[in-house]
Amino acid sequence: MSTLPDDLEGRLRTAAPGGMTLTSRPAGKGVTTLWCTLADPRDLRQVAALVKALHGRLSTITALQPKPPKDAPPAVPEVAEAGASPTAPTALAIDGKVHEIAYHFDLDGDTLTVIVLLPSEKAEIESLAPLFRNAEWPEREFMETYAIRVLGHPNPQRLFVDESIDPAVLERLIPFSVLANAATTKSLWERIISRKGGKA
Amino acid sequence: MNTYTIPVGPLHVALEEPMYFKVELNGETVSSVEITAGHLHRGVEYLAVKRTLFQDITLLERLCSLCSNSHPEVYCMSLEQIAGVTLPARAEYLRVIVDEIKRVASHLFNLAIMVHLIGFDSLFMHVMETREIMQDVKETLFGNRMDPAANCIGGVRYDLDADRIAFLTAQLDRMDAALGEIVDLYGNNHSVRLRTRGVGVLSKADAIDLGVVGPVARASGVDYDVRIKAPYAAYDKLDVTVQTEADGDVWSRAMVRLKEVGTAIGLIRQAVKALPDTPIAFFPHERPSIPAGEAIAKCEAPRGELIYYVRTDGSNKPERVKWRVPSLLNFEALKVMLLGAKVADIALIVNSIDPCIGCTER
Repeated sequence: MSTLPDDLEGRLRTAAPGGMTLTSRPAGKGVTTLWCTLADPRDLRQVAALVKALHGRLSTITALQPKPPKDAPPAVPEVAEAGASPTAPTALAIDGKVHEIAYHFDLDGDTLTVIVLLPSEKAEIESLAPLFRNAEWPEREFMETYAIRVLGHPNPQRLFVDESIDPAVLERLIPFSVLANAATTKSLWERIISRKGGKA
Repeated sequence: MNTYTIPVGPLHVALEEPMYFKVELNGETVSSVEITAGHLHRGVEYLAVKRTLFQDITLLERLCSLCSNSHPEVYCMSLEQIAGVTLPARAEYLRVIVDEIKRVASHLFNLAIMVHLIGFDSLFMHVMETREIMQDVKETLFGNRMDPAANCIGGVRYDLDADRIAFLTAQLDRMDAALGEIVDLYGNNHSVRLRTRGVGVLSKADAIDLGVVGPVARASGVDYDVRIKAPYAAYDKLDVTVQTEADGDVWSRAMVRLKEVGTAIGLIRQAVKALPDTPIAFFPHERPSIPAGEAIAKCEAPRGELIYYVRTDGSNKPERVKWRVPSLLNFEALKVMLLGAKVADIALIVNSIDPCIGCTER
């Protein structure tokens, strides 16, 4: 059953000076899932260090490009003024190109998911491998499936996808025949055409 | 002393699935290991967002044969969280029963391969023959020896009547009768202990630092089992004993699995006895509508914690499905376990994490 520290929210706020939001959702049978969205991705390392101090374990990492809400107006790119501090990523318009990375930490059965949003033109995030040795494979995986750079990764090689395949495979439409590596012949198509009397 | 570099895999007689280990040797002793993956990568995460929420149950069940129940189960758990669905009580117990049947069959397969690798083939055949009892159980109860197709969103797709319960209980009795001798052989046979004690050691500190899970973690003294730490199905109502060992070697990992077979049989007996009389699914006749949302769910698959993240957008296709299998974490531990090992023990140590490459690479 849940053993989350009472002052977790306060400690997360201290570790994330750029700001954050925290929501809690019961997952049934006394298990809690916590969702912490950081306003500034540069706070990730400090938040991860706090999780480590709480004896948390990195379960896995999910990267995705969230879809824009169905009724949302067209996204307007924000223009940062010269010398201004970086735009708070939570203010990023969800335009289908922004990257989201969700770090799922296990806290003795409960799950804390720490979320950062990265602008599409500069999708970079610090590696958590110096803190969590098991971050290496999940980070390599999202580096090869999305156009995200991981700074300070100890071994930034492809993990599963062969070097010969273009990067960011999950950001592209891949025809099923290519995905399944299945060569198709023209015979089926030709049979259809012949049955229709030469018309497609 | 001479140094060599040898390839182990990707296709190797002692590996069940393809993985390439580039092993540096100092004489006969392993000095470093580099792991190259990707030979079984099929792009299933991509496929999962191209199919409907319901088709994915079938797709995910085919990721891996040995833990084929765990994938659709946790995927359904995620969607049940998003939809705010609570399982009928009978479905919770039926999920435990199929989970534990799969655990018995999975563990015994790994244990059999271990003794095959040390040349104890009569024991290999004996364990596989005992495992066959559970294969027959699966075939009888689910109509399939590997993929039970037991889960649906909000419940299960199979039920047990008095005849089936009687059959299942009789098979458990047969298993119990055979297990006593097997536990004794693995625990005390001189040859088995000689080849597996002190081999491929993973300390508790390394196990925690590497974040390994399942029997690999528990054999190094890490007392973590999802069935206790984050209970699901009916595990909160059952008496689950967490099996641990202290030494973190090949033998300890085998003994944890062997004891877990006994625990699993006990859990099936408990669940069958307590089976409540309720429907088996929240939506017995229709496919539910799943709202937009996101959820995390996890279970104790045979190899350890299996975690799913699912995001939906209100349509009938998921926006993102991501999962991490226990083997993905446990592979990195091989670099520690293999360091200082002898060449002859490489395959034995790799087998001791019960690697599932189909699951890992997706």
